[in-house]
Amino acid sequence: MRIAVKGIGVTGGFGCGVAELLEALQGGTGRVAELSVPAALGTTLQLPAYRAGTERLEEFAPKRTLRRIDHYSKMGLLGAYLALEDGGLLGTDLSRLGVIVASGYGATATTFAFLDSIIGDGDICASPTHFANSVHNAAAANISIMLGAQGPSLTVSQFDMSVASALVSARQWLAEARVDAVLFGAIDEVSDLIGYLQHRQRGPLHPSAIAPLAFGEESSIIGEGAAFLLLTREDAGPAYCTIDSVTTGNLYQGELSLPDDALMLLGADGRQELGARYRDAVPKGARVACYAPIYGAMPAAAAFDLAAAALILRNGNAFPIPGAAGCDLEGKALPLATDRICSLRLAGSHEYATIMLSKG
Amino acid sequence: MTHPWPVAITGLGCICAAGTNLEECMAALYSGRRAPTAPTRFSSNHPVSYPVFEVPGFVEAPELLRTGALGLHAAREALADAGWDPESLRGLRVGVCVGTTVGSAMNNEQFCRDYRAGLEPDLEPIARIMRSNPAALIAREFGLSGPCQTVVNACASGTDAVGLAASWIRGGLCDLALAGGADELGRITYNGFISLMITDESPCKPFDRNRKGLNLGEGAGMLVLESEAVRAKRGGRARSYLLGYGSACDAHHLTAPKPDGAGLRSAIVEALSCCGTPAESVSFVNAHGTGTPDNDRVESRVLASLLPGVPFLSTKGYTGHTLGAAGAIEAVFTVACLENGLIPGSAGFQTPDPDLGGTPVSECTKITGTVALSESLAFGGNNSVILLGTRGAA
Repeated sequence: MRIAVKGIGVTGGFGCGVAELLEALQGGTGRVAELSVPAALGTTLQLPAYRAGTERLEEFAPKRTLRRIDHYSKMGLLGAYLALEDGGLLGTDLSRLGVIVASGYGATATTFAFLDSIIGDGDICASPTHFANSVHNAAAANISIMLGAQGPSLTVSQFDMSVASALVSARQWLAEARVDAVLFGAIDEVSDLIGYLQHRQRGPLHPSAIAPLAFGEESSIIGEGAAFLLLTREDAGPAYCTIDSVTTGNLYQGELSLPDDALMLLGADGRQELGARYRDAVPKGARVACYAPIYGAMPAAAAFDLAAAALILRNGNAFPIPGAAGCDLEGKALPLATDRICSLRLAGSHEYATIMLSKG
Repeated sequence: MTHPWPVAITGLGCICAAGTNLEECMAALYSGRRAPTAPTRFSSNHPVSYPVFEVPGFVEAPELLRTGALGLHAAREALADAGWDPESLRGLRVGVCVGTTVGSAMNNEQFCRDYRAGLEPDLEPIARIMRSNPAALIAREFGLSGPCQTVVNACASGTDAVGLAASWIRGGLCDLALAGGADELGRITYNGFISLMITDESPCKPFDRNRKGLNLGEGAGMLVLESEAVRAKRGGRARSYLLGYGSACDAHHLTAPKPDGAGLRSAIVEALSCCGTPAESVSFVNAHGTGTPDNDRVESRVLASLLPGVPFLSTKGYTGHTLGAAGAIEAVFTVACLENGLIPGSAGFQTPDPDLGGTPVSECTKITGTVALSESLAFGGNNSVILLGTRGAA
């Protein structure tokens, strides 16, 4: 069954909303900011990072209702409101709306804050507010509460495979007619923990830009944000594109079967350990695109890829690939007209996900 | 394409404080045995030692989170029970759907302590988390190549995982699925639930007038779900069937159920509607029954309204609240009770509460029907219900 992408809501390092994402994709530029992270012996690390704002949330919800909501959930709420607005459902009856949120790491800043409350002040001073907001489904819950959405709600957390895995369930909900629409999104946040881990695992030298197609190099820069899609069963109404299939799994032997007539939208994000897998997976002569330099490296980037794919299919042309210098796929990284896209994401040594999208 | 309900359940596995396999667990439940203790695997500086339900004697491999290891243990039992040699699964599309709360969380306390102290903490605890995501771990361990999903819907995760995996079978996404939930006990959840003031200082008393809250537990439950095509081809036995699944969000509060139980009502109605099962067919309900004042009040009132007179029980008096594993463990128990025609008494219950919609069964009770509900209510207002039935019901 094909499902239609009816609305897009995004906030990330590039800005907020479809127009700003489109502008960033067309310009091929991301906005890398700086993150200060406490480190050993009282030192402070300065790391490059893509940061997302949530200021526009006040256009949709009174400030006082957001007081106890953390940055992670705020990003999700903003993405949700923007997607509903873009899809024309904001302010309508949402009783047949399902909510699905995917996150690689969840609310890491709040999780860390909860641990801090124990470490700093003892077990008896554990913060109930931080605990309640650190639970993985807190963002989905806040979205449902703020929207009054009483349909099914699902949160999936499976690191890099979170988005594709959650999308499998979104398709099933629509196929089974459990709901008429799914507010589907992904959220990840930059926190001290994520920044520090980036430094320890990939530092100490930090790149100034992601070179996603230089597969032999480490060039990842952490990102944060929320990308939401309003999904429905395919109908005659306007839509960005359709999602035709979602396949996830483990590849233990043989080669990944990929289409040879679709633009390959790679989830490559500058992580060196995955570079060789991407290089080996892409069929010879395939047309490729990759937009991690627009929003950064994070599991939720897979949903930003879907938003970028939807904009490509609506416009009919791929956007230039930022950071394509040093491309290991020489001669293939050419933005071309396309009406079919295969979004490919790889993780670990065996995991893969392919999502096929078409003009519809 | 979506195949109709029901979906066959061909294997069961379970590990929790009541036992390290399903047979041990059911023996404990039917004999009324329960053994909550002070935590032995971690310490705390609370003035009161809140009882927990640990899995005694279970030791996880050092490279894995305990949650993942518990899930693997239950998965092995479920596959063996279904008659599947893991090697023989390699040619099939086998999905894995597992619910958890802590199994994918980046929250190692020692790492955080060392980091805050200005040290350079060992990265192994983070690597352990990354390699122990429950669904991914099980898929990797058995070499499974189908869809894989780790559900983090708080305390409803296990029930949702079972319902979602059945949806994959019905949608033709896989031939077979390992579905369930897993969670471990630890200081973070222990302190977290105490901070919310919903933890009982004594053994929990679900649906009792004097209930004060929950006791935490740990464990895993796994079910093997099979498409009819695969089951028929190999002549596999169906222990039971999943007849329906429903879920709905209260959209009310982050940690408290909606007082009118609207979300739970919707979930029950949806689960019953999947196979067109009349409410009168339900022979018992394995309730969420945590022992918190709010949960038990809302849940019992909804049951009294939608399923009046239907016996209900909580098994958390034997297992503690195993969070993301709870729904799966309770689904496994529900199938076993249907097969045995016998439900255990609701451990901890003594005194009826006039404020509730009813009272749970307090001793082992024979049941004659072929259909039962298992339900979960969770943080975030998630309500999830599965409807289970024996061969006759399907």
